[in-house]
Amino acid sequence: MTSPSMLAAQQSAFIELLLDDEQPMPADWDKLRFDVYRNAYRARIVDAIRDTYPRTERWVGEDAFRRAAIHHAIRRPPNSWTLDAVGEGFSEVLSELFSNDPEVAELAWLEWAMHTAFVSADAEPLDSASFASGTAGFVENDWASMTLRFLPGTQLQSVEHDIATLWQSLAARDHDAASTSPERWTPATRSCVVWRHGLKPVFMLVDADEGRMLEHMLEGSSYGDACAAFADTVGSDAAVRQAGAMLANWIHQGMILTVSPLEAS
Amino acid sequence: MNTPSPLDGFGLGLRRDHYDEFLACGVAVDFVEVISENYMVDGGNPLRVLEAVRRDIPVMLHGVSMSLGSADGLDFDYLARLKKLADRIEPQWVSDHICWTRTSAHNSHDLLPLPYTRESLENFVDNVERAQDFLQRELVLENPSSYMLFPGDEMTEREFIAEIVDRSGAWLLLDLNNVIVSAHNHGFSANDYVRGLPLERVRQVHLAGHTDGEIKIDTHDAPVDEATWRLYSSVAPMLSDVAVMIERDDRIPSLSELLDELALARDLAPVIEHRRSA
Repeated sequence: MTSPSMLAAQQSAFIELLLDDEQPMPADWDKLRFDVYRNAYRARIVDAIRDTYPRTERWVGEDAFRRAAIHHAIRRPPNSWTLDAVGEGFSEVLSELFSNDPEVAELAWLEWAMHTAFVSADAEPLDSASFASGTAGFVENDWASMTLRFLPGTQLQSVEHDIATLWQSLAARDHDAASTSPERWTPATRSCVVWRHGLKPVFMLVDADEGRMLEHMLEGSSYGDACAAFADTVGSDAAVRQAGAMLANWIHQGMILTVSPLEAS
Repeated sequence: MNTPSPLDGFGLGLRRDHYDEFLACGVAVDFVEVISENYMVDGGNPLRVLEAVRRDIPVMLHGVSMSLGSADGLDFDYLARLKKLADRIEPQWVSDHICWTRTSAHNSHDLLPLPYTRESLENFVDNVERAQDFLQRELVLENPSSYMLFPGDEMTEREFIAEIVDRSGAWLLLDLNNVIVSAHNHGFSANDYVRGLPLERVRQVHLAGHTDGEIKIDTHDAPVDEATWRLYSSVAPMLSDVAVMIERDDRIPSLSELLDELALARDLAPVIEHRRSA
């Protein structure tokens, strides 16, 4: 009879063999039959990454994508209960593998952000009318101390390439990768923000100033502090005017969940 | 403890390809089964669809990641997510597989084979009892398809399963395709295997396709094959209070094609169909 530790050791050996061809197989295991599990494991992991990153696969091509997916699986063997998490961190692996083509990692980041926003927690965004009525009694100090909560799943990333155009061009399954080359901005002069509008994940590119404002507000800074940092770049009057326009647009886009101190009232 | 209420009827797996048809009109099925993990998410469209479908017909939650055979024990974060989903959906029952999928370090995302030893059995029964206590539900457990056995097995798969059911109070999901696959791969009689199970504990039947070869592979990417239909015809009269479904997870065909297969399942099991209509 096996002991509990022997069962654990057997399962640990089984997993190690799935992950690594070089591991010695117990002499009394049937390699042909074990390979059914090894092949199924690899196919499942690659398929899961492919399902999450269809545009990235179209952009780099099937063979290069498959090699990258296998590399990712070796570097970061799955440990979550959900297959959906297998692709987590893939953009970091791609940034190393495609260091001369940094748009690849940016595109993968966008696909992952859209993937996670799709199943983020349901929440009703604050609409313009509610914001206007709720802030009607704000005094100056209320505006300065105001913080924002964004919809669950909202993510931000600075980008160097026009991944919006690339995203659209890769929507078709028969996309010809050689036909499109994304515009590159040097240095990074845009940010990409992803959120969920209703049931649909969406994104937009914003300029560097708005990207920095978003970054501050997503990190929980007060509106006053974010505007002060912005003012260092554009001056106080322009900062207040432009930040107001940004805030109005975020509310119009349905990105904001709550505003405090309005939230507390 | 919630005991699975019996359901005589015929159903399908609810797959993303068919969401619109299920939402648009009443699809002629008595229930749907979903892969639990696909809905153990925070929000979004999949949960919305599932809740809408659930308003009309019963739903079974069928998991692939509970890993009841793991020597490292249960993942209670996983179980908490599953419990939250079950509380929200109020499924007919919650099922998973007689297998293991992970160690504490890594998850294979595959249904891996268990050694059929006393030690493995004690571990499995212990995990089932803990999971049932946590979920406050009696589980429905599916017989595995497997491609290898371990030297040192102390009992057959059938004996292993029968003792799990007897000792844990869990119910059975009898996957007849899995029986055909494992019988071929390990050289036992599919008929003897099924007849040796505690059939009174079967709550659900899976019918699916596989890939033929020297080793049959349980791929769920093809129509139900002839041997599985024959086994089903012979077994159906021995079952009562059983939910029968076509299970397809890859190369998913049109809904009408799956409904045609389900119609064949009805035709081959007039006893079940008669009880369902009564």
